[in-house]
Amino acid sequence: MTFRQFALNNVLRNKRLYVAYFLSSMFAVMVFFTFSIFAFHPAFQTGDMPSSAMKGMLVSGGIIYVFSFFFVLYSMSSFLQSRKKEFGLLMLLGMSSRQIRRMTFLENMLIGFLATISGIGIGLVFAKVILLIAEKVLVIDETLNFYFPLEAIGLSFISFILLFFVISIFVTFILRTNKLVDLIKSDKKSKGEPKASIILTIIAVLLLAAGYGTALYVEGIQVVMALIPVVIVVTIGTYLFFTQLSVYLIRRLKKNEHIFWKKTNMLLFSDLSFRMKDNARTFFLVAIISTVAFSAIGTLFGFHSYLMKGLKDANPYSVVYESVEDEDVQKQISAIDQIIADENVTANKEVVEMNYFEIGIDYPVLIVKESDYNRFAKLLNEKEIKLKNKAVVVSDNQANIGNFQNEQKLMEIGIPLKSGEKVQAYSEVSTSVLQEMNAYYIVRDEVFKQLPSAVKQTTFAAWMTKQADEEQLVAIGEKVFDHFDEYHNAFSMDYTIYEIDKAYGPILFIGLFIGIVFFVSAGSFLYFRLYSDLDDDKEKFQAIAKLGLTNNELKKVINRQTAILFFAPIIVALIHGAVALTALMHLFDYNLVKESAMVLGGFALIQIAYFFIVRYFYTKQIQQAIK
Amino acid sequence: MLQVNDLNKVYEGKVAYRALTDINMEVGKGEFVGIMGPSGSGKTTLLNLVATIDQPTSGEILIEGKDPHQLSKNKLAKFRRQQLGFVFQDFNLLHTLTVEENIVLPLTLDGKKVKEMKEKANVIAEKLGISHIMKKRTFEISGGQAQRVAVARAMIHQPKLLLADEPTGNLDSKSSRDVMEMLENINETEETTMLLVTHDAQAASYCDRVIFIRDGQLYSEIHRGESQKGFFQKIIDTLSLLGGNDNDFSSIRS
Repeated sequence: MTFRQFALNNVLRNKRLYVAYFLSSMFAVMVFFTFSIFAFHPAFQTGDMPSSAMKGMLVSGGIIYVFSFFFVLYSMSSFLQSRKKEFGLLMLLGMSSRQIRRMTFLENMLIGFLATISGIGIGLVFAKVILLIAEKVLVIDETLNFYFPLEAIGLSFISFILLFFVISIFVTFILRTNKLVDLIKSDKKSKGEPKASIILTIIAVLLLAAGYGTALYVEGIQVVMALIPVVIVVTIGTYLFFTQLSVYLIRRLKKNEHIFWKKTNMLLFSDLSFRMKDNARTFFLVAIISTVAFSAIGTLFGFHSYLMKGLKDANPYSVVYESVEDEDVQKQISAIDQIIADENVTANKEVVEMNYFEIGIDYPVLIVKESDYNRFAKLLNEKEIKLKNKAVVVSDNQANIGNFQNEQKLMEIGIPLKSGEKVQAYSEVSTSVLQEMNAYYIVRDEVFKQLPSAVKQTTFAAWMTKQADEEQLVAIGEKVFDHFDEYHNAFSMDYTIYEIDKAYGPILFIGLFIGIVFFVSAGSFLYFRLYSDLDDDKEKFQAIAKLGLTNNELKKVINRQTAILFFAPIIVALIHGAVALTALMHLFDYNLVKESAMVLGGFALIQIAYFFIVRYFYTKQIQQAIK
Repeated sequence: MLQVNDLNKVYEGKVAYRALTDINMEVGKGEFVGIMGPSGSGKTTLLNLVATIDQPTSGEILIEGKDPHQLSKNKLAKFRRQQLGFVFQDFNLLHTLTVEENIVLPLTLDGKKVKEMKEKANVIAEKLGISHIMKKRTFEISGGQAQRVAVARAMIHQPKLLLADEPTGNLDSKSSRDVMEMLENINETEETTMLLVTHDAQAASYCDRVIFIRDGQLYSEIHRGESQKGFFQKIIDTLSLLGGNDNDFSSIRS
């Protein structure tokens, strides 16, 4: 047996020990590879893609790579921790520390190589699925066909072999050769129960309270300024929360014998308190990573819906046209009629003369006949207006950007008639029936006749299609867009939204992708944490089972233990995420409750499913051990 | 108290292995019985079967006239917890708990009141001379103390039957003697029935009666007379008749 064979056999004959480390490495490779399949897809290489999206992908690829580095490093070091005793034994047999380093280096390279190959292999299997999803999320004209991603394979292979090489070297350095006796006894010696400092506990509470308070209190542009300090404060607060506050709380619980000595609580809490030192670090990591994922996806999703909702509400018509000066209005309107007819779509249409009058403020104000207004309201299926008096003031309820619509002024001034009399508006109404930026009046038809001559006149026309599908609407929109290429004074909202989606799609996709990657890795951190305690747990439950522990009691303890592990960090992350999204709501002054609930709820559901799966296997393993 | 009828145990596997053959024995109430035999003779198997940790292939084990192996898995766990006490060679203490917490664990699992548990723990700790280490953790105490804690845990619910598997196996001779004297004392004062599996002739000499097993079958049994010294000599003699290597039975362990 040569030294190399020894290292090789160490890995191959000890599969169970290495499997967690191997799987996490493979997972990292797979993620990176799927991403590069997507990024190197020929459809994006044609130059059709906006350069900002390409740059975004490059940056995201970098982020995933850096993240993989730390992910693998973390898995690797926790893996080596569990092998201390083995190293101790080898040193006892006379292995020099240089040889141990060489051994771990060889082992690592072997695992890294296998992980890279199988990560790419599995990535290839899922490639089609990923491309299909990408196609759905991204609004692109070409379909993303499956292709054999030579470039992606090359890039992933080289990057990860390099990554494992660097980490292998790195690890041989951090693998400090402790005293032999410590290594040999590493599984016997207790790590000691962590202690909490009262001062740090209080600081944790204060930091979190301050961070949350600020995030919830600030509004508008202040949110941006408060962002960095709040993130720092909350991050430190979270760290202290897990390392101090939680330890403090568990110790308090343990002191209370009425709780601690109650049935299986003793088994649960004693382990919890001892593992808290290791758990705290994992919890912190998972909480922060998940928060980033929640916030990123929530922001993207919320921003998207913010953008879309505003547009759709402000422009309820299928196509609108507003004349510009010196234009053959009739010709343009019939051109649009023709475009709609060409797509085999029928549409209702209303046309109105928009008359603007001088009433003594700095711009001409639109005054509309009640009957004209109601024709458009009917077209939209909106409530028609029945004037109780001579006039009302109307403001567009969607174009409400700032407060420069002057409804107030219009209420006060009133409308001067030819006769010199003045008609006062009696009420304010808010609709988006007519596409007018400024506030305007609706007057009774007989009042309109008494108005002086208008200073400006335009024609406004709107179409509402009947039973047209998305594709036809977009096609109409595109043609309208092309026809009015000079002034763009006619447009279709569906086409505009399509265009925005097309530009926004890659960002959304990348955001989602990275968010999910972060979230899934957070889940695997928890999984490794749980499984690194498996042997301890087996031993413990074996001991108790001999004394007599029913299956239900066993399940109860494992259930709670796993639940705490899986949900403690996620609940913290969900609260963090909810606070972050609330702050975002304040920034945009837009209600994101539905979107936030969907994103956070979705993640919570995934986590619950994950919990059930892991608990099932863990319980099974323990049950087998004590049989 | 304990009755074993025609007990057989076969370990299935590629090559089936017959660990116990037609064992019949009886242990009266309050009796202190030792089981001895060379390595691989099946004594630990016998103890595990009585302890309900393992299932017999055929035959029956009656504890106070009832066969615990007929109970469902959950009831069996409760039965072990409430009726039996265990002492193991490697102590089997939980290192995340303090001495006191380890002792009350069986009662805790049964949901007893804290006050009651405390009282019982204090009484038994006083008796076994471990009151001063109650707040210590298991890795802070010596092997002899750890085994006393294990005995305290096994005795706290006043079991009908105490089963000890090589309780002195990990202890030096002084600690061994202490633990055995303690068990003998408990046997006399509490009238707890005890079953002890051991290699150690010194430890076995504390029993009322020693049963010898060889190749999974009963070989012989001897009773203790008046003097423990004479009994020890008789055990040594029987062991040498039994065969096996002398060093299997070193009376003093290092």
